[in-house]
Amino acid sequence: MALEGSLEDMSLSDLFQVFRMGPKTGVLLLYNRHERGVIYVNQGLLVDAFVVSGPERKVVASKDEAVLYMLDWTTAGFIFRHDPSVVGRAVQIKHDAEWLVLENMRRHTSPQTAVPYRKVTLDTRLQLSPIPSNTESQVSLGVDQWRILSHAANHQTVREICAETTMPEDKAIRIVAELLAIGLIDVSSAIAPPTKATATSNSRPDPSHPDARQSAPPVGRSLLSAILRRVSEL
Amino acid sequence: MKHMLKIVVTGSFAAGKTQFIRSISDIDVVDTDFKTTTNEERGLKSETTVALDFGTIVITPSLKLYLFGTPGQVRFDYMWEELATGCIGYVVLVDSCRPAYFAETQHLMHRFTEITPAPFVVAANKQDDPAALPPMYVRRRLGIPAEIPVLPCVASERSSVKLVLISLLKHITSYGATSDAEDNVVDDAPSSHASSA
Ligand SMILES: Nc1nc2c(ncn2[C@@H]2O[C@H](COP(=O)(O)OP(=O)(O)OP(=O)(O)O)[C@@H](O)[C@H]2O)c(=O)[nH]1
Ligand SMILES: [Mg+2]
Repeated sequence: MALEGSLEDMSLSDLFQVFRMGPKTGVLLLYNRHERGVIYVNQGLLVDAFVVSGPERKVVASKDEAVLYMLDWTTAGFIFRHDPSVVGRAVQIKHDAEWLVLENMRRHTSPQTAVPYRKVTLDTRLQLSPIPSNTESQVSLGVDQWRILSHAANHQTVREICAETTMPEDKAIRIVAELLAIGLIDVSSAIAPPTKATATSNSRPDPSHPDARQSAPPVGRSLLSAILRRVSEL
Repeated sequence: MKHMLKIVVTGSFAAGKTQFIRSISDIDVVDTDFKTTTNEERGLKSETTVALDFGTIVITPSLKLYLFGTPGQVRFDYMWEELATGCIGYVVLVDSCRPAYFAETQHLMHRFTEITPAPFVVAANKQDDPAALPPMYVRRRLGIPAEIPVLPCVASERSSVKLVLISLLKHITSYGATSDAEDNVVDDAPSSHASSA
């Protein structure tokens, strides 16, 4: 078993974030038509990486540069497998994942390409990421990044942040995309599916609502307690 | 007289629905798995559920909880409506090792909230794999609001399935149960009708 997908389903910066959340230890393989990349992860930290190309497996990048190289890939497939043997591997990568993601963005003009499934708009509502920040983190933020970060703590939208900070909208969107990519902020549940529970949580379903026509009426409490007792005994 | 209550277990292809029901059911699960057809599906597993999984938990001598699993693939989604009708709540199972199915899961959740106002919980399955995505990440990617529980799950472990069902039942209790009337108990005798309310 393994975590598998394509970078179109899950970006590399998201993968780094998940490794840190775990924290996870293992080997991440990335592959596209002509190249293969490997990143070794120990307790959520990137310790070594390389990229090889062609049938002769020529090394095209290694260590920090290999991670930066792979951060440019948007369509590669990936497989991450838990592998405790990585613990003994020598640390070859100098910078942490956040620094590398930011550095990759500094080298490019459009940071949004790094997070294809998360389009930032003025109505995107933000929140601070629940991941505790890594004490060893070498990430250094600029003044504008800090300003956005402080407003994200209030669950504001990008539009509201622009109004309060008088920051130009395109600049704010770019910085939000950067902070999202390195995992310091999250999109708040503004993107939530329109669930009935969201709108009327803790209330009975409205029987006049068209959805309620074919639904079961609320279950009696005594019945639910009986089921809960029975399931707990299983 | 025998009564039934219905809980639906849904989720995208290979999320673990059949496994989930199999782990908790009192009876041998009636499943309707057939050989998978497309190459992509075959790469993942050799059998898929084309109709429904079905399991039961006896609550009292006169009351049974029925668990229905939906067929995972979107091409069978015409069955969802029928399955969801009259359920007291449902579980959305997510394969925490296959982010490729997140978009399909979002679509499925959207459809279900259109079909039924019944409360639901999300179960981030396959957490026994140390490489699995954590529930917190699954919540964020699926855009699940804070008031809906997103639970870690290992469908092959009965104790884990039990915890998910308990969370769902508690969620149903906090969501809408206000009366003591056994008002959506369904008579499963063929002659009687769905609801006495
Ligand atoms: N490691 C692990 N594997 C699981 C778990 N649950 C299910 N699986 C495996 O995942 C695959 C799919 O499980 P199923 O229960 O058939 O999934 P399903 O949702 O019924 O699939 P469809 O009916 O085809 O949509 C099988 O190989 C299961 O053994 C779990 O908790 N952990
Ligand atoms: Mg199945």
